[in-house]
Amino acid sequence: MNGGGSGPGRYRIGIDVGGTFTDFVMADLKAGGLVFHKEPSIPSDPSQAVANGVAALLERAGARASDIALIAHGTTLALNAVIQERGAPVALVVSRGNRDVMELARGRLPNSYNFRIGREKSLVPRENVYEVAARMMADGTVETDIDDAELDALAADLKARGFNAVAIMLLNSYRDASLEARVAEGLRRRLPDVLVSASAALWPELREYERALIAVLNAYVHPLMALYLDRLTQRLAALGVTAPITITSNNGGAMSVATARERPIDSILSGPASGVRAASHFGEGLPYLLTFDMGGTSTDVATVTDGELEFARTSMVGDYPLMLPVVNVSAVGAGGGSLAWLDGQGILKVGPESAGADPGPISYGRGGTTPTITDALLVLGVLHPERFLGGRMRLDAAAAEAALAGMAASLGLAGATQAADAIIRIAAARMSTELNKFLAQKGTDPRDCVLIAFGGAGPTMANILAGEAHVGSVLIPPSPGTFCALGALISDIRRDFVRPARVPIGDGGRGFAKVTELFGALGAEASAWIAQEGDLIQDHSLAVTCDMRYPGQSYELPIALPLDERGQLDEAGAVEAFHIAHERAYGFREAGSAVEVMNVRLAATGRLAPVPLPDVPATAPPAPRERRRVHLEGGFDVPVYDRASIGRGVRLSGPAIVEQLDTTTLALAGWDIVCDRHGSLRLERTPA
Amino acid sequence: MKLDPVTLEVLHQKLRACAEEMAITLARAARSTYVKDAHDFGTALANLNGKFFAYPEALGVSGFLDLDCRKAIETVGELAPGDVIITNHPYASGGLSTHMPDLQLIRPYFHAGRIVCYGWDFIHSADIGGGVPSSISPRFNELFQEGLQIPPMKLVEAGRINQTLIALYRANCRVPDLNIADVNAMLAALTVGERRVAAIIERHGIAAFEAAATDLTVWAAAKSRDVQRRIPDGEYSFWDYMDDDFATRVPIRIRCTMRVKDGMVDLDYSGTDPQVGSAYNVPTGGIRHPWLTLKLMHLVGTWDPTIPLNYGLFENITVSVPKGTVLNPEFPAAVGVRHATAVRVNDTLVGVLTTALPGLIPAPSGGTNVPIVIAEQDERTGVRRLSVIQMLVGGTGAQSGMDGVDGRDSGLANLYNTPVERSEADVGVLIEEYGLRADSAGPGRWRGGTGLVMRFRVLREGSSVLARGLERFVFRPWGAAGGGPGATCKVILNQGKPGERDIGKIDMVVMQPGDTITVMTAGGGGFGDPYERDPEKVFFDVRAGFVSVAAARRDYGVVVDGGRLDLAATKTLRSAPRPPRPAFDFGPERAAWESVFDDEIATDFAARLLLRSPPKRIEVKRQIVEAVVPGITEVGVRGMANLFPDPQAQRRLLVELMDQALPRR
Repeated sequence: MNGGGSGPGRYRIGIDVGGTFTDFVMADLKAGGLVFHKEPSIPSDPSQAVANGVAALLERAGARASDIALIAHGTTLALNAVIQERGAPVALVVSRGNRDVMELARGRLPNSYNFRIGREKSLVPRENVYEVAARMMADGTVETDIDDAELDALAADLKARGFNAVAIMLLNSYRDASLEARVAEGLRRRLPDVLVSASAALWPELREYERALIAVLNAYVHPLMALYLDRLTQRLAALGVTAPITITSNNGGAMSVATARERPIDSILSGPASGVRAASHFGEGLPYLLTFDMGGTSTDVATVTDGELEFARTSMVGDYPLMLPVVNVSAVGAGGGSLAWLDGQGILKVGPESAGADPGPISYGRGGTTPTITDALLVLGVLHPERFLGGRMRLDAAAAEAALAGMAASLGLAGATQAADAIIRIAAARMSTELNKFLAQKGTDPRDCVLIAFGGAGPTMANILAGEAHVGSVLIPPSPGTFCALGALISDIRRDFVRPARVPIGDGGRGFAKVTELFGALGAEASAWIAQEGDLIQDHSLAVTCDMRYPGQSYELPIALPLDERGQLDEAGAVEAFHIAHERAYGFREAGSAVEVMNVRLAATGRLAPVPLPDVPATAPPAPRERRRVHLEGGFDVPVYDRASIGRGVRLSGPAIVEQLDTTTLALAGWDIVCDRHGSLRLERTPA
Repeated sequence: MKLDPVTLEVLHQKLRACAEEMAITLARAARSTYVKDAHDFGTALANLNGKFFAYPEALGVSGFLDLDCRKAIETVGELAPGDVIITNHPYASGGLSTHMPDLQLIRPYFHAGRIVCYGWDFIHSADIGGGVPSSISPRFNELFQEGLQIPPMKLVEAGRINQTLIALYRANCRVPDLNIADVNAMLAALTVGERRVAAIIERHGIAAFEAAATDLTVWAAAKSRDVQRRIPDGEYSFWDYMDDDFATRVPIRIRCTMRVKDGMVDLDYSGTDPQVGSAYNVPTGGIRHPWLTLKLMHLVGTWDPTIPLNYGLFENITVSVPKGTVLNPEFPAAVGVRHATAVRVNDTLVGVLTTALPGLIPAPSGGTNVPIVIAEQDERTGVRRLSVIQMLVGGTGAQSGMDGVDGRDSGLANLYNTPVERSEADVGVLIEEYGLRADSAGPGRWRGGTGLVMRFRVLREGSSVLARGLERFVFRPWGAAGGGPGATCKVILNQGKPGERDIGKIDMVVMQPGDTITVMTAGGGGFGDPYERDPEKVFFDVRAGFVSVAAARRDYGVVVDGGRLDLAATKTLRSAPRPPRPAFDFGPERAAWESVFDDEIATDFAARLLLRSPPKRIEVKRQIVEAVVPGITEVGVRGMANLFPDPQAQRRLLVELMDQALPRR
């Protein structure tokens, strides 16, 4: 099929549309090699920056638009719309008596100490919630059906109030989507221009608030994403691009534009997921990867075990819980823009407030007045004022130093560098304790992990953190600042499916037949979906998971079910797999007990031709571009290298600094830098 | 402070993380749903005096920060490496354990041959024996009914578990395997804490470790005092009521006098009613106990969110609470449901702080936390199964500049609700309505949060409904600074159907298939004069259905006519003369009660009851109140305001009966 042939299908382009920059990476599947590119984003019409960048890349490669095999694309548009409250006004349709589903949410407040922190803002004000008589019972039978008169009245009201986006969530629709679908169809027929999102069609899982939220969030970003995707398709077509376009999704995979247009919710947390996906590619063959993504406002970590990404059942989108499988990413604290400050008792604190990108650190010279981690790294000499972002931004070291000198005086320290050192020590203490807790939750020993650092500040702080948190070693990929674009480029097509089961198995009854039947139906649905996602897919696989429990338990365990050689599920094997998992998690099994299957889950993956990582040439040990003083741990002189001068097989001793366009890597004393065949830098403790 | 400000912050992070890692270990390894779902557990590092200097930020129970391990440690005596103390005894542990399912472990951490601190953890275990599964019922009136009593003793001695104690423990609880798994999880957490402490000492030295343990508390104390300086100097008194003590319909009064000088706060709970003959007693050991200071912790945490969490936060507070009261009961008073009383202690503290300075803290929340339980008989086995279909709370109180939150309350526990779909899947019930209750919020310039309404239909034969612990049925969540009170709770059988009936406060109701019950909870108190509320905000609430057109007019002086806000009519209505708004609006029920039981006589009554033996206190109080207020046993249906036809005569009778039955002070 497609892959390294000449002409058509030679190039694959990965794109990440961010708020400030749109990043590109182009893979040449024939000759090998990756080309990176950055365009300033155009917030008023983000598709314009995408088209500009694709045109620029084609020109650089001397290629034609028809040579492109695939454009794989990730965007934070949907997420930003939620965080900046720029989505469409949404009307929500619910069963009578359930009008306050969005007001009540799950009944909790974000903070039980602080009474000045209120609840999250409701995405649908109470006056935009419509109750209908339609009601389903818990067993899936219809208690009250919808009739045309009610639909007519509802449609007329929605039209009169000018809604473009409508979400529907009827109680118990997770059990049987048909009643909800009839309401959706009735509205679509009457209001052809309105985008209708029905909860069970999106994700039929029990829990009405979370499911309503999926429908509401989908509706909230629906008009905006539809417009963007239409424009994107038109602009790329105008360039002569005939290749399929994919959109990255929350689960570390991707989907077609057609799917993304119906289910924009599946793209909402795709940014961090793409980073973790790219990390898994670079860490191939390593058993425990710990991803470390340090940006301006926060630092995120995730684990990859034996190449497998870890998924969360519920993640947060701003203040809202999202009940969809999402690559599990956790925040562990400060980013480069996190503020350092003194509290009322004169104790030095770092974060949680951040200067963000605007005004940003003091040294950005955009009006920031409070020192940040970036300012501290600059004053310490780790960052070079002239070479930040490849020299695109000149940093004002004097201003940062003056502010830190003031802070040092209040702290009783000798000078600005001591204050900067203190800020880094505190940030590292916080981050490392959070990291150790994160690993403790999984029962993973940090010494077994390889920390893979990306984001602008990740490679700079990685060694300090690894030392403090006792992480085994560090990996810096070649282009850590455009990692998400690379993640998009290598993502397979993937979608998750769920159905409720609520049946006992292993008791000699008919329960398992129901599970098999559900799996068969889901498999057919998934295969049909895959078939429509485009002809780039080489083959596909289905992975089955059952949420299982002992009867009466309030929690369930996800159990991955292997298929036998005929592609069938095995009942005894499933029951035993649950007993084993339960024993591992809780220390006991109820051997004689029945087991209940609450949900059947299926992940469908359509594999694309792999993009091999290019090898970098071997080089002789490079000469440092300069030596400079770094004021960490009492101060030492370090050689500074240009990343471009470090080829395969080079080994350097720390302390050392490696500079490149999108980041600065710091290696401490007692650590070595080794460059592997793909050009990744591996930081390891110097052998004794 | 001995340490430099940078090292202190580094050690602050590490010690807090140590307590948090203990919590993670415990939650991972524990098995019971109390730990896994409700997060009813705690971990900490305690200093040589048994007070916590390191505590998790957001893992486990936040409210136990000021517990005291000293009595448990002193009772056991000499400790060696590898020892672990166990106790669940509310009295013998000096209030460390506040009801018996709360199992406490303490392990000494040694360095260079001496104890440098203690690791502590607790869990709410699934069952500790006693009269009912899970060991808690408001009905109990003695500790002996509440399960196995374990005074402080060694569970582990030099690394060896006391198997005799384990055998006895296993024999005395209903789910021994589950409990032992939880105990093992607690032991594992203490071991993790020991390892982390050793690593911190190795990295930073014992001197820095010990200095940090002290400095952190000095730091927290300085921060909390800064916040408490917001409270004006002076002496302030306040009291509030629980509707009843479950065993009888006699109200329980909680009274507090707060004396403040330059950020130092003294709380005096004298005047509080005697201990009760149900499980509502709060065993505080008569010391500065977390249940008595919780709202002050919230005050400090709100105004200084970065304060290090340790007992230093409480070092500017002193507390006195007379022995024999419901807040310092004498052995063997039952204590299982002490949290219900704690809610009203919180409201009392809110009241005393609001008296000192309106706006310091929000008005009281709906003040009720009631699980709605369906009991179903299994058709096959005949076994009765209890399922919680929803945990109902009220709304939070309003505060200066902010409305209360509708239908949520994190004051006591910040729990998830139960999805309607889960309850309908698990139990034979159809939940016809679960939402916000109109016209329940205390009106005000800032209105309280609304209460909840839940109407459900029972579908199967042999079902009953339990709603234990309904509160604010009689006495309302009051309004502050001119705000009005929230509506009281209500329970209605077959609302809108033939046979509709207001059934008052319920314990258990047997249902027929098709019957419905509607439970409505109280809203939070309002803040500020409702006539000063922006008419547009009132109009928004009318459109959303939170406030009816009639209530907008009556409570807010806002006229809504034909779906439109009439600003001219509103202006006219609002400018008409009316009586000044009171600083506190308690509603008519409390006025009726206090027409006989005013502060002076209630304080005297409580003090003189304390001169009798504990069982007599309870009995005499009930006899006198029931004689003075003959309708009190039906208060839920008849309404408190209707029980005082002749207050003067009733008061004369009260004085007479007190003189007959009680010694003079």
